[in-house]
Amino acid sequence: MSAARPTCREIEPDLIALATGEAEPGAARSVEDHVARCAPCRDELERYQAVEGLVADLRGAPMPGVDPTLARAELESRLADLRSRLVSFGIFPSPLGPILIARSEQGVAMVEYLESEEAAHSRLSRLAGAEAVRDPAAAEVLYGELLDYLGSRRTRFDWPLDLRWARSDFQRRVLEATARLPYGAVTSYGHIARNIGTPTATRAVAQALRWNPLPIVIPCHRVVGSSGGLTGYAGDKVGLKQQLLSLEGVPVAGPGARRIERRAMYHLDQNEREYCLPSCGSISVRPLSTLTLFGSREQAEAVGLIPCTTCRPDLHPLPRQALHP
Amino acid sequence: MVEVMGEDAFEALVAAHHSEIHRYLVRVSGRASDGDDLSQETFLRAFRAHGSLPADANVRAWLFAIATNLCRNYFRSEKRRRLAHAAVRAEPITAELPRPDGEALVKETNLRVDMIVASLPPKQRLAFTMRKLHGLDYEAIGSSLQCSADSARAHVFQALRKIRRELGDLAPSRTEPKR
Repeated sequence: MSAARPTCREIEPDLIALATGEAEPGAARSVEDHVARCAPCRDELERYQAVEGLVADLRGAPMPGVDPTLARAELESRLADLRSRLVSFGIFPSPLGPILIARSEQGVAMVEYLESEEAAHSRLSRLAGAEAVRDPAAAEVLYGELLDYLGSRRTRFDWPLDLRWARSDFQRRVLEATARLPYGAVTSYGHIARNIGTPTATRAVAQALRWNPLPIVIPCHRVVGSSGGLTGYAGDKVGLKQQLLSLEGVPVAGPGARRIERRAMYHLDQNEREYCLPSCGSISVRPLSTLTLFGSREQAEAVGLIPCTTCRPDLHPLPRQALHP
Repeated sequence: MVEVMGEDAFEALVAAHHSEIHRYLVRVSGRASDGDDLSQETFLRAFRAHGSLPADANVRAWLFAIATNLCRNYFRSEKRRRLAHAAVRAEPITAELPRPDGEALVKETNLRVDMIVASLPPKQRLAFTMRKLHGLDYEAIGSSLQCSADSARAHVFQALRKIRRELGDLAPSRTEPKR
């Protein structure tokens, strides 16, 4: 290019484009016309074409001493570590207010009722060592099932549970025992304590469930006090516990609906396969720590129980409750 | 069962793109060891984010954008490091421009071109490498460098001008060996 001539300066970008094979047909033609008349620009074009050739060589040239194998192997091991620590979460609207759902590659790791979206990060910080990434798509399936449950279209979850962040082995055992409580059933903290072989640890069980990382999925709402009182739920959300129990057909009564109505429920002795009417023998005065109660016969039978042959709940069912007050 | 988080899809993504991204980063960073680190970081970031990637996204361009972004941060911290270093040792900064590993390139001219590319300002170096050595389009380069496709093209052309100028006599001219 002859720097002195404006036409040469003007055509220079198109000249480079032609050399690199990117020129529009029109621009290519003007450059060709120009270089036919202008020797310095012809030279310039050839030099750019030569550069293009060198660059093409460079593109195809191997880079000796550069081996991605080791970097790849190291990447795989760092990825494996990240995978095990990665927790994807979403915050979703629900009839119970905003809910945070977090999952790892092992299963669901956290379900939290949120007062506000800002609370999410302090909750997620409980997952020590985890790397939380907002990825609602990853938790979408779980959210769908949760909505189905809340809309009475689903009675159980098949999600694997990731209990790595349980506070202790004891809490993990409490959570696992609670996770086995079927839909529509109610038992007491004392019963869970007996189930895991620590019959005197009733208070510790209540405390372990107070910090349940997976409410609804691990149905701690199905666990009540020894007198049938709903006691606590997720801090101060006893109202939610009552809502979830009602949803499952468990009759709740008392002032402010804060007590399950034992008289209106079928009773199961811990060592039996037969469920009874509350009027069967002395079962109605037995402590809740030895019993599981069911809101309906269907729910009892859904878990393989059969009607008691003495009190015959199949012939004399309890009157149906108004389930959704 | 809950399906494991797109693991197979991500494996495939690594298999398809790792060696190219690695090559790109070794070249633009000028050091094999930094290329190793930056390429790992690129894929770790991609792993964290790939869940929210639209199904029709251009994965290769997306990976280049992550790699380029990391690389620019690297240049900035490298510059800081050099400045600090230079302050302590009172040496000219220009003496420590990143350059490719000596044994990395066989051909003399390749080495020359590589050295010139290594001495280009970051944006030109990145744009040139993406365009001329990896064949990305200007749209993708623009989104990697957070500029327009036209600016991306301008960076590449500016790089070509410098290479052409620096190479001067080395770029053979068939018609007029001397001007």
